[in-house]
Amino acid sequence: MYYTNTASSKSDKKTAIMSIQPYTEDQNDALQEVVNIAMGQAGDSLARILGRFVELSIPRIHLVNVDDVIKTVTSMVNNNTEISAIRQAFSNSLRGEAIVVFAQTGADDLADLMGYDTDLAPSAEQELLLEVGNLLVGAIINGISDTLETDLSFSAPSLMAERTPLDQVLVPEQLSWSHSLLMEVNFAIEGRDAKCHLLMFMAEEAINTLRGILDEFMDGI
Amino acid sequence: MAIPVTVVDDSKISRKMVIRALPPQWNIELTQAENGEEAMAAYRDGKAEVMFLDLTMPVMDGYQVLERLQKEQLNTFVVVISADIQPEAQARVKKLGAMAFIKKPVKTSDIENVLHEYGIV
Repeated sequence: MYYTNTASSKSDKKTAIMSIQPYTEDQNDALQEVVNIAMGQAGDSLARILGRFVELSIPRIHLVNVDDVIKTVTSMVNNNTEISAIRQAFSNSLRGEAIVVFAQTGADDLADLMGYDTDLAPSAEQELLLEVGNLLVGAIINGISDTLETDLSFSAPSLMAERTPLDQVLVPEQLSWSHSLLMEVNFAIEGRDAKCHLLMFMAEEAINTLRGILDEFMDGI
Repeated sequence: MAIPVTVVDDSKISRKMVIRALPPQWNIELTQAENGEEAMAAYRDGKAEVMFLDLTMPVMDGYQVLERLQKEQLNTFVVVISADIQPEAQARVKKLGAMAFIKKPVKTSDIENVLHEYGIV
């Protein structure tokens, strides 16, 4: 995600942090509600392909500093074991990246519910994760785009990690931003261990653009 | 006489969206609640003859409110307004005594249809 080509020193990043203004209480509230609506649509899509009830929780939104990103994501995902993850970029009015994190037991549960063998060949498992990830990211991005009446598109999904410890998936030195808006929603499959976490990252420029979009959204209500 | 109506949602903008979608000619006494506990308190104060109820909330969620109302055999007309649009979520809240389910983002016509259906407006 936003992997940087040139090495930037920590001190450069620290300077950039100072320029990010946090959202107001009303902007945060509006964003939370927009993500909540989008999450509901994604949860419904997931429930339909799995034939199971999907338990939703309150979306979590944090402004994170690059040095704290692993700590924050680990606490959100609440999992220090190996995970698999897919990523998709989104663009147009807001640029950022969505990552869907699956715990290994979750991947097995998904395979089972979708009628695959639980002892899935690695290529079939990858395909399954890409399909489920794409479904969730597509629904969330479309939900946000419809609610905010702003154009958003997203790239095809790619596999980011397979059975890898979380702290090797997100490596702060490889991230090109110093500060990111992190939005997390999670989907738990009722009666199963399966849980997937959808994380959306937006860097400085998108944070500022979204501020204006949220203000317009609130003015329209 | 004004009908006591409580709008329950943890999100301020979401409450605003619901309130804006209420029929303008409807004579109500409006109360807002940020979670299920506040909703129950509003009910006990006689402020919730009609309740517009969100599901996903901190402290006490919408499902817990419905369970409490059902268990204590309390009588209020509950309309659930939720982003959780799964058919199963709709079936569950109806089983718990909600009269209607409306998807977020809420539209004026959705609320009007429910209120007309039950002869409330």
